Parts: sequence; C-alpha cells; structure tokens
Amino acid sequence: MRRVFVRMLVCVMLIAMIVPLGAFAQKNMTITLWTKESEAEGVLQEIIELTKEFGKAHPGVEFEVVNYGVEDLRQNFQSAAFAGAGPDLLWTVSDHAGPFEAMKLIKPVDALFGAGYIDKFVKPGIEAVELGGKVWGVPLSVGNHLMLLYNKKLVASPPKNTDELIKVGKELTKDLDGDGKPDQYALVYNLNEPFWFAAWMGGFGAWPLDGTEPTLNTPGVVDALQFVYDLKFTHKIVPMECDYDAADSLFKEGKAAMIINGDWSLSGYLTDEVKKNVELGVARIPMVTKTGLWPSPMTSGIYFMFPEYVSADKEAVIKDFVEYICSEEIQLLFLEKYMRLPALESALKSPLVTDDPIVKGSSDQMVVGKPMPTVPEMRAAWDAIRPNQEAVMAGKATPADAAKAMQEACENLIREMKK
Amino acid sequence: MLPLTWDIVVQGIGEVGKLIFFVAVAVISLEVVAYLILVKWLKFKNALPFMLMLPALAGVAILILYPFGFNIYLAFSNMSMYRFKEFSVGWQYGISNLLDVFRVPVLQRVTFFQLFLRTFIWTAINVVFHVLGGLILAILLNRPMRGKAIYRTLLVVPWAIPQVIAALAWRCEFHYQYGFVNILLEKLGLRAVQWMSDPFWAFIAVVVVNIWLGIPFMMVTILGGLQSISPDYYDAAQIDGASGWQQFRFITLPLLNPILTPAIILGVIWTFNNFNVIYLVTGGGPMEGTDILVTSLYKAVFEFYRYGFGAAYSLVIFLFLLVFSVIYLRISGGFKGAWEA
Repeated sequence: MRRVFVRMLVCVMLIAMIVPLGAFAQKNMTITLWTKESEAEGVLQEIIELTKEFGKAHPGVEFEVVNYGVEDLRQNFQSAAFAGAGPDLLWTVSDHAGPFEAMKLIKPVDALFGAGYIDKFVKPGIEAVELGGKVWGVPLSVGNHLMLLYNKKLVASPPKNTDELIKVGKELTKDLDGDGKPDQYALVYNLNEPFWFAAWMGGFGAWPLDGTEPTLNTPGVVDALQFVYDLKFTHKIVPMECDYDAADSLFKEGKAAMIINGDWSLSGYLTDEVKKNVELGVARIPMVTKTGLWPSPMTSGIYFMFPEYVSADKEAVIKDFVEYICSEEIQLLFLEKYMRLPALESALKSPLVTDDPIVKGSSDQMVVGKPMPTVPEMRAAWDAIRPNQEAVMAGKATPADAAKAMQEACENLIREMKK
Repeated sequence: MLPLTWDIVVQGIGEVGKLIFFVAVAVISLEVVAYLILVKWLKFKNALPFMLMLPALAGVAILILYPFGFNIYLAFSNMSMYRFKEFSVGWQYGISNLLDVFRVPVLQRVTFFQLFLRTFIWTAINVVFHVLGGLILAILLNRPMRGKAIYRTLLVVPWAIPQVIAALAWRCEFHYQYGFVNILLEKLGLRAVQWMSDPFWAFIAVVVVNIWLGIPFMMVTILGGLQSISPDYYDAAQIDGASGWQQFRFITLPLLNPILTPAIILGVIWTFNNFNVIYLVTGGGPMEGTDILVTSLYKAVFEFYRYGFGAAYSLVIFLFLLVFSVIYLRISGGFKGAWEA
C-alpha cells in the first residue's frame, strides 16, 4: 500500500513539474482580447483572422479572443479587474469609458499614443471618450447611431418631417387581410427603449443631461413623450407592442415600411434573403415639425480601451496591434464588409464613404447626432427614463407626470451612486 | 458561425484536461497531507471518513464559504463606483447599508417592502402551482397506463430545455400581435392582452412561464417518492374500506412528506431567487412591475455599482430565506427522521 502511495506521489510531482516547464519552453506572449463583437455578423471571425494576420508579423504573439455581450463585458471586466486579472485589451463601446474611468480600471490613451496620433481621428469620435481632459479610448469606428431605414418597395421616398411621417404613416399602416388588425406598419422601432427615445428628445430640443445634471423635467421631454405616445395611440402608425426583435423581423419580412435602427444593423438588411423583401434606403429620422429640429440620435462608437494593470512589454505589442487595426486599410475593410463608419479622418474622405448611398445616408444622419454622454451619471438617466417611458407607452402616466418622475428618479439615483 | 476545427477541439480538450489535472493534483495533495496528519501523526481512528469528506469540504469552502464571507465583508464597506478599489470598511458603513435597504427606494418606483410583498406573492403562487401540478401529474403517471414512458418524457421536456432558450421563446409567444397566447385568446373570442406593456399582465406572463418550467422538477421528485411507497399500505387500507381520498390523505401525503419537505424548501429558495425567467422575459419591466428582490439586487449592484449596499441587501434576502427554512422545517417536521437517526 505504502509503495503504491509513494509511486503515485512521485508521478504527480513529476507531472506537476513538467507542465510549468512546458509553459516556460514556449516563451509565447498571449494577449487576451475581450470584444463585444459577436459571430452573428461575422465580425468576431474577422477579428480572429486579423489577430492571426498580426501574429505573422509578430512571431510568438498569440491572441485569445473572447466575445461577450456589451453588458456582460462591462460586468465581467469590472469583476476581473477587481481581482487584478482580466483581459489585456478591450474592444468595446464608448459608454463604458465613464464607469471604467471612475473605477480607475483603464488608462488614458493620449499619453500612450501621443497627441499626433489621436488627432488623426474625427473630433466627435475623440470627444465621446474624453473625460477630465484625457482620452480613454482609441476609436475603431464612429457612429453606433440610429437612422431611418426605409423599404423602397413600400415607400418611394422617406418623409422629411414628422407631419409628413404621420400622413404617410396612416396610408402605409394597412389591414391587408381584413381581420381588423394591421398587417403592415408604417414605422417600427424599439418603442420602450430609452436609447430610441433619446433621438426624439433631441428633436424636441431636450437632452437627458446637462454635464452631470439631469434635465429630464423639461417641456422638450414632455413634448417628446407626448409625440411617441401619439404615434402609438392617436395616429396608430406603430405596433401596439414592439421591441427590437419584433421591429427587426417586421422590417426584414417587408411588413414595415420604415424602421429606426442603428448602423450596426445595416449589413443585416443587405443579405440576399432580406433583399427579396426589402430594397433598403437610408435617411435622417424626419425633422420635428413643431421645433424645426432634426432628431439627434446619440452617437458613440467602438473603441479600444487599455486596462490599467497591463504590463509594459505587453503594452508595446498591444499598441502595435491597435495601430494595425485602426489603420486606414482595416477601417475601410470594416466599412466595406460591415458598414461601420471609419473613425480616421482620412478614411472618411474615401470614395467608399462618399459614393455609397447607404453609407452616405448613415454619415448624413451622424452629422445631426449628439455624442452620448460618457459620464457615469448617464447610467442613472437611462434607468430613470425607462420605467417612466414604459408608463407613458402603456397609457399609465401622462407625459408631464412621467417627465417629473424621471427627473426625481435620476436625481435620487445619482445621489445613491455617489454615496 | 465559427467552424468547429480540430484546433478548437484540441484547444477545448486541452483546457478542460488542464483543469481536471490541476483539480486532481490538488485533491491528491490534500489527501496526502490529511493522510500524514490524521493517520501517521495523530493516528486518528476515524481518519478514512474525514479523508473521504475532505475534497467536498474544500470545494464548499472555496465555492461557498469564501464568497459568502467576502460578501459579509463588502456589506460593511462603502464600495461603489467612485470607491471601487479604495473603499473603506467599518461598522458605520454596514449599519448604514442595512438601514438603506429599508429606508431608500431600491429601484425608482418600488421600495423594499413592495418588492418583498411581490416576491412573496411570486414565490407563493409559483410553489403552490409547482407542487399541485407536479403532484397531480405524478399521481397520474404512477398508475398503470399504456405509453407511460412517452408521457413522462414529454412532461419532462420543459425541464430539459435550457432555461434561457425556454424563457426567450416564451417572451416571443407573449407578443401582442404575433404571440400564440394572444392568437389563442382571440380564437376563444377574448381580447388580446398587452403582455409586455401592462405591469399586471407582465407579472402574470412571468408567473405562467415559471410555473411551466417548474412543474417537471416537482413531478419527477414526487413520482420518485410515490414509487417508494409500498403498495401494502394501500392494500391494507382498501381491506379496511378506506376511500381514495382517505388513502391519499392518510397514506400518500404523510409518506411523501420526507420528499416534499426538501423539494418545497428548494422550490421556495429557487423561486424566491429566480433571476433568469424575469430577467429574460421582461427584464423587470414594464415600470418595474415584474422586478422581485433578486432582480432589483442585480440592478443595484451591476447597473448602479452600489456594491456595499448590494452586499447588505443580499444578506437581508439570505436571512429571510434562512428564517423561512428553519421555521418550515420545524413546522413540517420534514427532517425529523434524519435528526432522530
């Protein structure tokens, strides 16, 4: 018994020694990249290919690419960074910069790359991640903004203003089979989601925050709430219930003439299957007739962010990788394949941007967009807006009461967050 | 979709293999140390049972005790987004966090007590339907009938489907215009319901989904219990002229008690802490109308970064469940046999 036990012990010890020795022998550098990009559009596969391509020029450098949903990436990074571990590089959205900066989890990139490099990118792209006078991310693409997408098979030209939208909308919302319910809608979008409501807010001259102060109980917000309420209950040109997936499906199936959706969705409407039902057109969300203002969707973008704990030797390689991905060539590749607007000033002047009607429509909408506030207080604003917007869209609260409740909730949440 | 290449398969097997190897090394090392101390040094008579339990105890300590202890530590801290790494720990923070659970609205529209009441209703409705549904189906399946195996398999399907997929599928089925629930209601001559816009109906929707998901577990558990009851009891009762109800009341129910008690306690704890169904079907909305304690806890921690508060809040929820379990065990006497043994 004792002999068996001793032999077993020796075996375990030997194997335990060999495994780490093998790791030393390889001398490879593995860089862990967490990205919010998924397989659905093929972007994750593209990233993996790009890391392999980069690895060819950097022998010994390997990448481990891990995909998380946007919210999961934020939460998992917070937990991992708290434990002093986690990824070496983040490929994520601009609104993460606020909380990550407040938590001291990422480092500024302007010092790392130098002002000359950062200046190559478009201004709104840099402003979206500028906090406390420092830049906290390198932009991969800008936009991430909503726009009006329309099906030319159902509507020849998009409405220019909200009056026209309502007029055309009533004609386009049709009960085709006579069962008393519409089978085709004029407009679909994620009715209860604050990100979509923010565009209308801008059209009515309102905005959720002024710096870090909530500005939700304003006449503009009340009017915007009244407007979205009317689209549903008075003019009945949007479905009674419509979340993102429902809107997306209705548009793809040719059952909705127009959809308000983001630039991330464009490539999905250009597939051969969807083209059978949809001939895509891109335009600005119609101007609000009452104010004469264009709705201003929030603009942000996709950024590289650097965790603060990354070692200097890794950082040098990561810096090279970021410069490689943010080169004009790769940014234009992402534009061509996935309709992502480049963040490099020079790439935006490419004929690929100026000559393509869909990309041109997208960039035309971006011009009237507003950068999404990156400050952590925006989190409180989102969560204050959501239930009250839902209340209005369910006919359970008046726009005035909802706006008042939003303001109070946002102030309370900010107070609690700062405790 | 990424193609499944040999590289990926080998990498996957390598990673799992590495983990298994390290766990095995850790377990063997632990056992070696325990052997040397308990057998060689202390010459302890009951060394073997201790050594056999040791890996499980170590697992519990690493996976449950340490996180739980850390949660208590955080409950007495002021950790938040602005004090993520440089937070302070002290009694004053713990007391303040605990008081905040009851005095500050946990979400925007609902307070702790409203959430507690809703969680209580949610748990009670779900567990009652799980037990009743499971009991009825188990009794039906416990009788001799043709095609029993097929029925049993079909009835277990909701349990076999990953909860995430089932919940997301149900979410689509509650769509106002295209969901089958409203289509069914309209075929029956009733009005379609705005399931995802009205808080009351949204709550009903999540309850329906969770009842559907929870019945198979109870059915399988109770069926196991029913099959362990000796038919002799029923034969004797029939000779004595007992009715079907009397047999159920005085034989089936008492003999099922040791099975039902832990199943109900588990059911209550799982339902009370059920995050998936609510989060995936309604996200707590509309108007926070389907949020329960755990979903609001999640929002407090992961959306508002209130880590200290969240840790204290989770302790309060834990204490409620602990008190419930102790009281229920005392009243039901479900573990009496185990204690007496």
